Parts: sequence; C-alpha cells; structure tokens
Amino acid sequence: MKYNLELIKNKRKIIGFSTVLILLSLLGILYSTFNTSYKKPINLGMDFVGGNELRIERVCEEECSDLSPDSVLENLREISENKNVLNNIKLQLQNNNKLISIRTSYLSIGESNNLITNLEDIVGPLNYESKNSRLIGPKLGKRLLINCVTSLLVSLVAISLYITIRFDKKYALFALLALFHDLFIVFGIFSWLGIILSVEVNSLFAVSLLTIAGYSVNDTVVIFDRIRENLKSKKESHNETIQLSVNESFRRTTFTSITTLIPLLSIILFGSYSLFWFSLSLSLGILVGSYSSILLAPSLLLKD
Amino acid sequence: MKRRQGWLFFIIFLLSLSIYLLISYPLQLGLDLKGGSQLTLQIIKEEGKVSKDELEAVNAVIDRRVNNLGVSESNLQTLGGDQLILELPGEQNPLVASRVLGKTALLEFRTQKAGTSKDLKSLQIQRFKIKELIEQYSSFEKIKYDDNLLINIQNDLQETEQELNYSPTSNDLYGKLIEIKKYIDNEITNLFIKTDLSGRDLINAGRRQEQTRSSWEVLLTFSNSGGDKFAEITKSIAGTDQLLAIILDGESISEAGVGSQFANTGITGGSATISGNFTAENARELEVQLKGGSLPLPIEIVETNTIGALLGSKNILKSLYAAISGLIFVGIFMIFNYRILGLVSVLSLVLYGFFNLALYSLIPVTLTLPGISGLILSIGMAVDANILIFERIREELFDGNTLTRSIDSGFQRANSSIVDGHITTLLSCFVLFLLGTNFVKGFAATLGIGVLISLFTSLNCSKTILRFFTTYQSLRQKNLYLPKNSLSN
Repeated sequence: MKYNLELIKNKRKIIGFSTVLILLSLLGILYSTFNTSYKKPINLGMDFVGGNELRIERVCEEECSDLSPDSVLENLREISENKNVLNNIKLQLQNNNKLISIRTSYLSIGESNNLITNLEDIVGPLNYESKNSRLIGPKLGKRLLINCVTSLLVSLVAISLYITIRFDKKYALFALLALFHDLFIVFGIFSWLGIILSVEVNSLFAVSLLTIAGYSVNDTVVIFDRIRENLKSKKESHNETIQLSVNESFRRTTFTSITTLIPLLSIILFGSYSLFWFSLSLSLGILVGSYSSILLAPSLLLKD
Repeated sequence: MKRRQGWLFFIIFLLSLSIYLLISYPLQLGLDLKGGSQLTLQIIKEEGKVSKDELEAVNAVIDRRVNNLGVSESNLQTLGGDQLILELPGEQNPLVASRVLGKTALLEFRTQKAGTSKDLKSLQIQRFKIKELIEQYSSFEKIKYDDNLLINIQNDLQETEQELNYSPTSNDLYGKLIEIKKYIDNEITNLFIKTDLSGRDLINAGRRQEQTRSSWEVLLTFSNSGGDKFAEITKSIAGTDQLLAIILDGESISEAGVGSQFANTGITGGSATISGNFTAENARELEVQLKGGSLPLPIEIVETNTIGALLGSKNILKSLYAAISGLIFVGIFMIFNYRILGLVSVLSLVLYGFFNLALYSLIPVTLTLPGISGLILSIGMAVDANILIFERIREELFDGNTLTRSIDSGFQRANSSIVDGHITTLLSCFVLFLLGTNFVKGFAATLGIGVLISLFTSLNCSKTILRFFTTYQSLRQKNLYLPKNSLSN
C-alpha cells in the first residue's frame, strides 16, 4: 500500500484550512471574552474560580419520583437559614431524577452539610455512599489558575528550547508554529463549547493541553526527521522529497494516532464522568496534532 | 542467540517479580477510588513567605490535633511551601475535623479592667439575648410559617441594635444576627486586660460531665510555672468585683469571679475548669485543640473533596472497563495490521501493564482517576514505539531482505527516533510533576513512568519475544508478518 498525498498541489488549501480553523477559534475566544456572562476567553470552572459542587444519588425503590429543579430550589430557599448560600445556586437532575447535582458559590463544610440535610428534607432519603462533593475556596482557585498557566508556559519554553537545539532554525520555527496551531484550536473549540454548552474547563484541561503539546511535537519531529534524512540521500527536488517523506511516514503517524485515540475513546465511553471532557480534549488535540504534523508543518516547508 | 535467551529469562524473572510485588504490596488507591475526604489547609501569613520552621510548627500542631481526634488511617502531608493536605479515608465526616483544625485555638487568660462591672453585665445580657435570637431563628427556618416569631425576632434585633448603638452592614437577618454577636464578643473581650498566662502554659486538657447538669466542662492542667502564674493572677483579683475571663480566639468562653478566700495565695494546685455550657461534642473539640496547642499561624480550609465509598468502587470498575477495552481494541488493531508482529506488541503491552503496576506499588504511586487515565493513555504511546519499529521491518521486508535481517535492522534504525520522540512527552510530564497540584501529579507520574517503561518493553521485550517466535520454523513465513494485500502491492 503506497500513499499518495498531493502535498505540493494542495499547499494553498491546507494553509487556507488551517487559517479558517484559527480564525474560528479566535472568534470563539473573542466572543467568549466580550459577549458572555463570565467575560473570559474560556469558561473557567470551579478549580479556577472556587465554588461548591455536590453530586448525590437519591435512594429510590425502582423508579425515582418526578422532581422539578425549580420547586426543589424554592423549597430549599424556604428552609435554609443562611440565604446567601443559595445566591448562585444551580440544580440539575440526571439519570431519571436519581442523580442530583448542585453548584453554588463557595461554602464551608458546615454550610454544605446543612444544604444536604435540607435537600434530604425536600427530596427524600439520599445515598451518602454515592456522594461526591468538592469545595474550593476562591483563593486556592486563583492559585491553581496561576499554577496551570505557569506550567503551560514553562513546558512550552522547554519544548521550544529542545526543538531549537535539535533542528535548525527553519524546522524549529515551523514545528513550533504547528504546535501553537494545535493548542490554539483545541482552546478555541473549548471556548465554543463553553459558549454553546456551558462546558467549563478545569485543571485537567490544562493538563490535556500540556500532554497535547508533548505529543504533537513528537509527531512532527518524526516526520521532520524523515524529511531531513531523505533530503540528504534522495535525488528528487526539494518539494518532491518532502512530499515523499510525508507519504512514507503517513502510515506510522496515523497508526500511532489511532492507537492513542482508541484508549481515549474507551475512557470517553466507559470511564468515570470526571474524565469525560479531559479525554475529549486530548482526543481533539491528537486529531488536530496529527493533521498539523502530516499536512500543515511539511506544507510550510515547501518552497514556492 | 544465547544473549537473547538470557533476556528471555530476565523478562520472565521481572514478570514473576512484578506479580509477586503486586500480591504482597497491594496498590495504594487515592480517595477518588476508595472514598473518603481530603482537606487542603492553607497557612495564612499577611506578610512575607511562610518559613520552613513555621510550616513544620503548623504541621506538628495539626498532626497532634488529628491524632487526638482519633481519626483512623488519616494521612497528613505538606504541599508546596504553605499548604497541608489531610486525607480522611472512609465515611469519616470532615465536618468535625474542619471545625477542630480550622481554629487557631489561641487560649488567653484575661482579668477585667476595674470599674467595668456595669458595662460587662449589660453586654452579657445582650449576648444571652442574641444567642436566644439565633436559636429561635434556626428553629423558625426549620418549622416555618409562624410569622409572628419572625416579626418578634426582627423587633428584638432592632432593640438590641439600638441599645448597643451598632448597626450591622449585612442585608439578611441571619447575617445581622451573626454580626451583632461578633460585635458583642469583641466588646466583652475589650473589657479585659491580657495576662502572661496563655495556652502555652498548659500541659494537658480533659473534659467531664458536670455533676448537676447535663452540660460538659473542660479541665485545664498547667505546667509548674503556669500554675504559679495562675495563682498570681487569681490572687490579684480575689475578693474584688473583677472577673477572670478565658478567651479562645478572641471570644470569651467563660467569665468567673475569684472568692475572697483566695486573697492570700490565689488558686493553687495548677488546674482550672472551664464550664461554659459545653455540649459533649464542643467539649471534646476544645480538648483536642488545647492538647494540640495553638497554631503559630492561622490556617484556612481552602479545599474539601468528599467521595462516597460506593462512588469510589464504581470509579474503579469504570476505569477497569476503560483500560481493558482500550487494551483489547488496540490489540485487535495491531494484530489486524501486523499479524505476528501485532501479537508480539500485545504481549509486550501485557508485560508493560504488569511492570507499570508493580512499579506503582514499589515506589509507591497512589493511584487516582487522573493517574489511571495517564496509564491508559500511555498504552497508546507504548504501542507508538512498536509501530515505528514494525514499519521499518515492513520496509526492509519489501526490499527483499530476509526476516532475521529485517527484524535486526528494524529495531536498530528505529531506536534513535523512538528515544527522541518520547523526550517531549517526558518534558511535559516533568513540568507537570514539578508545578502541578496533587491531582495533576498523579497523571504526570503515571504517564511519565509509562513512557519510560515503554522504552524498555517496546525495544527489549518485543525484540526478545519476536526472536523467541522466530526460533520456530513454522512461524518464519514472511506472510505471517505482512498482510497479503500489502505484499502484492
């Protein structure tokens, strides 16, 4: 099986496609910054802004009775001592009314426990064994955010240094360009997800960006290596050698992406809910990363 | 050939060692897998950084308090320069721990300023009233709809505000009540003068039920010098109308007079009792705090994570499904595309899994959900190296080389690009591990360990297994290594 990607012919299309993706991402980021309630480039989750998240299951025989979130909230307001607790409350029912998930601003453990007792008075017995509660103070959130941004910057600098030492200037520049292209697009997709589906990003999102960075550069390195090797030995023209090298390493790159995507898909399908968005952003990153390693980065190397 | 056999034995030895390790040292599970609570305590310092000594001092106090609380299997560790992490496994309620740990527990003994008896009396009455109001309000919110009660509370509150000449800034009723109580506490404390006797002078604390009532009292035992100080202080106010206040974190928990019979020697014996209407629980919490000593710097609980045991075991099951299905589908993909070579990579993946888990129990790495996702993700990356090698072998076979030669040069030529390619991933893991939170560290650790081990399994183990396979004549046909359609091409 030989692959024949017409890189030279399609250079404009590839660069155009990437430009459109980047512009769409930029649009999402700008829209998110100026036109949403949270006024941030991306919808920051509890990890970064602080708050209280509670998920707990009801104890029901066979099926759980119908509940309306609004009436539960109304009842909660009536029996709560400290009304401030309920200022920014959001309540959702999932799994046929079985799973109750609540978001509020930051509470102390005592206040959170009161909230659960009050909730139990309204909706009936709850299964404490199924409880998942997270309370994050606003101070810690800010710190986590700073921490994540620093980690990202530090590792980007480290990767850039490594690439610059390993390749000559032109290669390094394009490899890094491809890397930022990947990260920017994944970021943009999550800006859009935040706008449309109110998806929030947490520290695991930052981790996924870092992992994508490592992975995407790895892919590009393998292809650039091949190009360098072939440029030394082959007689074909510069552009044709690049196209040939890409086709030679095409199988390898797609296969490794597939074998990395398979486990991620199984986490998305079977894994715990808390890993869902994490695995999704990793998968997106690997898809975009493979595209940029195979098509974008080598196209940039082509001479006009 | 001999050397390869040596490797085969070595790998079998490693595999049995891993299985032995896994059986005798079970994996440590994080809270998101076994259920429990995790509290993050932040040390608060207004200016400058928290020094190492201060961190240790806070750590020691918290450690004593946790021990005295009698929480089983708890785990306390420091994080960064100014945070502590406390893990409470199982169904233990983090509420009590948070109440006991969060307080500075600065115990002071103060004597009343002369001539303030009247002021104190009226403040004490106000304090009593406001406590009543808070209680009434709580019960009102529970039973509901006795609107008269609510109006009464509001009226009483207004009256108190006027008497105190203080108007709270809070908007809601509950906030107002709490604010006024704080104001009164503060005013009372200000009527007393500091002495040099404090919580530092205690050597022990205890509690007992009061004889005539159902409430509890807390017993204090002073050190020798503390006992002397206590005698001195009580002597100075004995027989006067000045009271002795015991103040905890700025709030007076007891005010009592000293009888004139103590005017000559003061109260000797080196002990004192605080009877301030404690419930059994309050008394125990105060006891634990006093035994542990006061915190040199205040702390704040900035994060609490609670996960029920049932949810934890569900998480384990889900992760297991994800890991196994990931492994199976990657295996199918590899065998479909690379035949015998695919089988080799599946076998080395299984070895990879065992080595990884064994290393987790050896180091030890606490397994958390992000950690598991790092492990699952590294399955894909471990195959990456195999694919690089197999592609090279395929190319060699296409060029008409013999099987043995192709295998040899495939491994040789892919070597450098594999090591190279993993460096960027390792860089990211390293940064994550240095800068990340606990949660993130788990992911970085498993992914990093995974990438390192995969270098060994995909280079050495695969080669050894492949060599072993090729010793059988029947397994040496080329078409077992290349799908037919690709050969015909």
